[in-house]
Amino acid sequence: MTITGSFLVAIFVACAAGVFASALLGHKQVPTVLSIAGALSSILMVLTSASVLLMGQPFEAALWTLDGFGRFTIHLDSVSSIFLLVSGVVYFSVSLFAGSFLKHQTDEAHPHLYYAILYFALMAAVVLILVAGDIVLFLISWECMSSLCFLLINYDPKGQLDKSAGYIMLAMSEAGFLAVAVAFLLLARSATDFSFTALRSACATLSPDTLWLPFLLGFFGFGVKAGLVPVNFWLPRSYTAAPPIFIPVFAGITLNLGFYGILRLNADLMHAGYGTGLVALITGSITALVGILYATTDGDMKTMLAHSSIENAGIIVAALGAFLVFRAFSQPVAAALALSAVLYHMVNHSIYKTLLFEGAGHVEAATGTREMDQLGGLARFLPELSAIFLIGCLAISAVPPFNGFVSEWMTLQSLLRSAVLASTSVRIVFALCGAALALTAALAVTCFVKTYAMNFLGIRRGSWELHVKAQATSKFPLAFLAVICLLLGILPTYVLPILNQSVESLAGASVTTALVQPFFTATPENAQLPPAFLADFHNLGAQTGRGLVPGRGLVVLLRGGETNPVVFAMSPSYSIIALVILFAAAWFVFRRLTRQRTLVKRPVWAGGIPRLLPLLTYTPTGFSNPVRVVFQAIFRPNIVEDTRQTVAVHFRTAIHRQREEIHVVDRLILQPVGAAARGIADFLAGMHHGKLNAYVVYVLVFLLLVLFVYRAT
Amino acid sequence: MATHSSPIAGGNIAGLADLTGMIVERFGDQVAQLRAGANFILTLSVGQPSALPTLAQFLFWEHGCLFGGITAEEHSNHWQIHYTFLLPGSGWIDVEFSMALETKTLPSIVTEVHAADWHEREIEDLFGIHFENHPRLGDFVLHDQIWHEGIDPMRKTFSAERPQLERKVDLEWQPLLVVGDPGSFAMPVGPVYEGGIGESLHFLLETVGEDVIRAAPRLFYNYRAVEKIAEGRSIPDALLLAERFAATSAFAHSLAFCLAAERIAAVEAPPRAAALRVLLAELERLRHHAGAIAAICESTALAVAAAQASIIEEQLLRASCVFTDHRYLFGLNTPGGLNRDFELEQCKTLLATVDKAESDLRILERRLRLSSSFLDRLEDVGVVIGESARDLNLVGPIGRASAQHCDLRRACSYSGYGRLAFDVPCETEGDGYARLRILFAEATQSARLIHQVADTLEGGPVRVAYEVNHAGAALGWTEAPRGAALHWLRVDERGIVERYRAITPSFNNWLGFHVAAENFAFQDFPIILATFGLSATECDR
Amino acid sequence: MSFWFWHGLRKGIQSTRYPARAENTPGVSPGRPVNTDFSTVEEAQLAAEICPTDAIVAHGKSTYVNPGKCVHCQLCLHSLQSPMNWETGYEWTRLPADGKEALPFPASFAKSMHIMVVDAGDCGACLHEVKQLNNPLYNMHRLGFFLTATPRTADLLLVVGPVSENMRGPLLKTWEAMPTTRKVMAVGGCAIAGGVFGKSFMCACGVSAVLPVDFEVPGNPPPPLAILHGLLVVAGRKSLNSPRPISEGRP
Repeated sequence: MTITGSFLVAIFVACAAGVFASALLGHKQVPTVLSIAGALSSILMVLTSASVLLMGQPFEAALWTLDGFGRFTIHLDSVSSIFLLVSGVVYFSVSLFAGSFLKHQTDEAHPHLYYAILYFALMAAVVLILVAGDIVLFLISWECMSSLCFLLINYDPKGQLDKSAGYIMLAMSEAGFLAVAVAFLLLARSATDFSFTALRSACATLSPDTLWLPFLLGFFGFGVKAGLVPVNFWLPRSYTAAPPIFIPVFAGITLNLGFYGILRLNADLMHAGYGTGLVALITGSITALVGILYATTDGDMKTMLAHSSIENAGIIVAALGAFLVFRAFSQPVAAALALSAVLYHMVNHSIYKTLLFEGAGHVEAATGTREMDQLGGLARFLPELSAIFLIGCLAISAVPPFNGFVSEWMTLQSLLRSAVLASTSVRIVFALCGAALALTAALAVTCFVKTYAMNFLGIRRGSWELHVKAQATSKFPLAFLAVICLLLGILPTYVLPILNQSVESLAGASVTTALVQPFFTATPENAQLPPAFLADFHNLGAQTGRGLVPGRGLVVLLRGGETNPVVFAMSPSYSIIALVILFAAAWFVFRRLTRQRTLVKRPVWAGGIPRLLPLLTYTPTGFSNPVRVVFQAIFRPNIVEDTRQTVAVHFRTAIHRQREEIHVVDRLILQPVGAAARGIADFLAGMHHGKLNAYVVYVLVFLLLVLFVYRAT
Repeated sequence: MATHSSPIAGGNIAGLADLTGMIVERFGDQVAQLRAGANFILTLSVGQPSALPTLAQFLFWEHGCLFGGITAEEHSNHWQIHYTFLLPGSGWIDVEFSMALETKTLPSIVTEVHAADWHEREIEDLFGIHFENHPRLGDFVLHDQIWHEGIDPMRKTFSAERPQLERKVDLEWQPLLVVGDPGSFAMPVGPVYEGGIGESLHFLLETVGEDVIRAAPRLFYNYRAVEKIAEGRSIPDALLLAERFAATSAFAHSLAFCLAAERIAAVEAPPRAAALRVLLAELERLRHHAGAIAAICESTALAVAAAQASIIEEQLLRASCVFTDHRYLFGLNTPGGLNRDFELEQCKTLLATVDKAESDLRILERRLRLSSSFLDRLEDVGVVIGESARDLNLVGPIGRASAQHCDLRRACSYSGYGRLAFDVPCETEGDGYARLRILFAEATQSARLIHQVADTLEGGPVRVAYEVNHAGAALGWTEAPRGAALHWLRVDERGIVERYRAITPSFNNWLGFHVAAENFAFQDFPIILATFGLSATECDR
Repeated sequence: MSFWFWHGLRKGIQSTRYPARAENTPGVSPGRPVNTDFSTVEEAQLAAEICPTDAIVAHGKSTYVNPGKCVHCQLCLHSLQSPMNWETGYEWTRLPADGKEALPFPASFAKSMHIMVVDAGDCGACLHEVKQLNNPLYNMHRLGFFLTATPRTADLLLVVGPVSENMRGPLLKTWEAMPTTRKVMAVGGCAIAGGVFGKSFMCACGVSAVLPVDFEVPGNPPPPLAILHGLLVVAGRKSLNSPRPISEGRP
């Protein structure tokens, strides 16, 4: 057995050990077990994927054969390794967070043992999905994962909670599962067995037109998990209903499985036409825009973050669509760029969204509320959390030097590369989607300025008291992720080569060669680059600092012609150095200038009123209302209640306007579909309640029809 | 009280007879006494407090009277409450009610006459008289944050000189907010106004972001208790207060005060003084309106127009200074006439400036009418429909922009306005632009009046001897630049003020501000404020 | 709409040349009574008696004026057989009577001084005259005087009004919110000595009862040029004409 195999087995052993230890050691020790066993297995996950990525060889192992289902195989290639790596990092943080969090939540609302069993089972299922090498094992483990998620959300021994969120999620997951299964079976018709390798070679023989149906089925099925419009309405509800320690798992890991599925089935196995890519691109862009609009205007911290996950899913799928189009047009370099953006953004989103959800769980536990209208002023109560949360907000708003910037920039750049495409109409679609994504990026900044400023700055608006015990939850898991956010943001030149293996296998071009030029390590005589180009770069000063900064420094995204060597380029590593120097210099100058000044602190100036009351300060609703007004055509609020009460004829005592918004997807797609389905059902029901004579007529008509068809052929 | 030929004489006597008949018929048993006097064409002494609301309802709504105000007086052993109404074209009606000092409750008439709202709140705050069924008493003149309950400063037992002891600011005090939309909050503005130079007043703009749903003013930051400290002063000393509590309409207020004082002593200013008073009052109105127009232009950030209007205003201030030795017309009025006379030459110089100002204003108006972006910001902004204006009894240019054509110069003439020809412009839209048009039209009429007066100025003294040798009370009224101003004065036999009450147009109209300030965009707030052109200090006194 | 631009240009520069040159246009200042020597003791007595606020004090045949108390009723000008002497200038800024030695701002403020205006129960006249400084005829911006919307960036606190009880707190809050290099200027007779409102349960009788005042601009109201002179004095660009007020009217 290879080293990868041993690690893999060790993961499952650790998970099983976690379950048994939890059961044996008793209620009080569960959090500790969760931390230790969880962290251990996540480290093993990182090691497993690292061994594959470092050796550059996929890991394969055949398990056993089941009659009628073929052989179960384990297949861990570079693509699944990256997902496994991210899952490992996220699980590491979540395990520590969960352990620390549960330690302070001893009430019945948090059944420790139940959580621990499901936690480890879910972890094993996730690993199994990622290492599955054939359809059957993949589908079985996928179904396990879906069921576990449902059990988590609907755990309610006392029968008090609203179970609709869990049931909706289960229904959608099952629909997606069926679609995926049909897609796989359609492809498997022409394959020798159920393994992915066989499917891949079978697909190569099929014409792109016949691939449309499996593509759409798979895109729908995995899109449910990935949170794509229009099948994502389950997502905000179930995220909000899930226990705090599992939401980071949902956002940072199971969401990724949707991308993994799309990548595996729709990009890896199938090589469909560019039309399928456009479907993904447009769906992704709409998803991103709709997601961020609802995130910006939502007042519940977790629902807001869930809508933001939808937005990020949209960005990832849009970039994936761009990749498919570029590949169909045989533009390997552009395709490689788009795919690296997909993977990079997937990694980033997992990291910062996990961080933010852990932070939100922390805030809820400490204050007892998630309503942002009630929060405010948390920076004074939770200074450490505030600083870490700020990093998460900056990262997700794509502000350098954090990771979100790198991947969003790459996504937009890859869309701008549509110039290489031959078709004008496709270029127009790219331009429109690029504009939608740019708008999304701008709104994301608004959204997270609101989130941070309204929750952590200002003064406390609600009447909550800080729970001292909950406050003691360890901040280390969050800080760990914050550091990763920074590292991913300033060292993309080290990250891109890691992604390169999978990019190369799918896109056919090396992202390292195309994007990350080995300026600092290579001599000017580097054979990969034309000498004139290198000389131009040298003259531009791109090699300044050569020998000082280790490793590759610059990410070049487009190499122009001889006269115009660099069109798009950025260097986060350079930027951080410049940023540090500028900040240090500014701080130094400021200190010099203000050396002799005395600092006087005074309360906030509020126009001379005795005290600035909380109800006189901005609320998140008020902050985001301009967005609500500008995009009124999308939100279409219904005013369900508009009361103006007066006493003594003239004295206004209350003005109350309650708006109700039906989510745009519900309004435009689900409600019409639901109405149509109900109409058909009513019609069929009407037929069903006929008399015996009517049934005889149905049979007769059907018989005639069959005969007619038979005669015709 | 001595009989005195009232300027009301010659009014609508037939209407009055009808009214008297109807009151006797309907309220015969509740109204103890009906009489006519020097001050009021009709004084109704009400015997039963329960009759007050129905009587107010009858006068205000059924008989079309305008509401003047409520004045409370504390006599040695009883309260006397005056509800003043104006029968347009005839004169003032006083509904009077007396009750023992220990009785400290009255039925509120606010359900019937909404305009009485703030009058009742003020009396409750300052006298401690409780108005039954008034839903919003307390926290008015004396802010609850710094004044604890139980202080009734207008009572005779309260010494005005005694400074208040150290008070603790109540930091837990919460303002009354009405909007209950999810996520709503209130944006505080003032009292130290953030927009440069502004009077001290405080607003809470209730909003859910982007649009303001409601804006209620909180006033009386400038309350200097003028009515209280006037008590015990001689008439000339009290005149100083009447003149200086609201300096931008100082002449109108000092004139109303002097008219009241003259009516008590049954003297009348000589014709030359009366004419010159009209001239000065119209000069003040012209200057005020130029300033109000400048403020409106400034609120829409139309800088050149604002600059031009403020130059006109400053030229008029300088002309006033050259004419009277004071830029704000202080120190001119005195009971019995004017303190000084003016030369013909002076009048001519003044007329030249007034003509120049008037023609400049016409040019400005023509240009403003062509500035579509300026008009866009005024039209349909801060609308007060006619019904609300009637309901709230809005006065002055604001009322006239909402189809309330009452102008005391016409409706109840004083100081010889009845003999002069002038128009009372009136609009019906009730929006910011209508108010601007009213200001321009009134400025033109003021210039016309100044000309008429200067052309027909008679010779003679400007002052008659003035002496008070009996106790008495009287009402004086003027149409101040911002609307109707009523001054009620009661003196004892030595001429010492016992009760002084100033009902100002700003006090009336601030009550109606919230009607115009509902559901508007943030950036329209200064425009609504400017088109109302109200003065906090005139309201606060 | 472009005609506004041309309209503005065609009007040319209308601003006063003060302080480079004296401004003598009629009507810029109402003037004020000044110390007068009468021919008889009785005349001096009459002048002192007619003053309703005791701003004029008779001493033998001479009368002395305390400009801080003058409310500009003009009785001593128009209602006397032999009137008081009348000064037509406007450079009236003075130091407060409490003997505090206030210095103007250092030279770095001369070209840029930010002013916070607080209405502390003013009748509207002084505030209106301060507002006039913004119009093109006075245009205080050309001298580097700016109004600020927040006390945080203000150098000078300009207070008008006698300080009503309801404004005492906001005024103190404003003062506390200013940088400690602040200076306070009381503008108008009410802000200096309470004016006609005097001391009562609702009036603090002048700013000095609440805050340390550095400079005073007497007048009821002081005309815009007097206030401008005050600003120039605070900025250190003009000197005080009379370094100390004549206390109680006596030399």
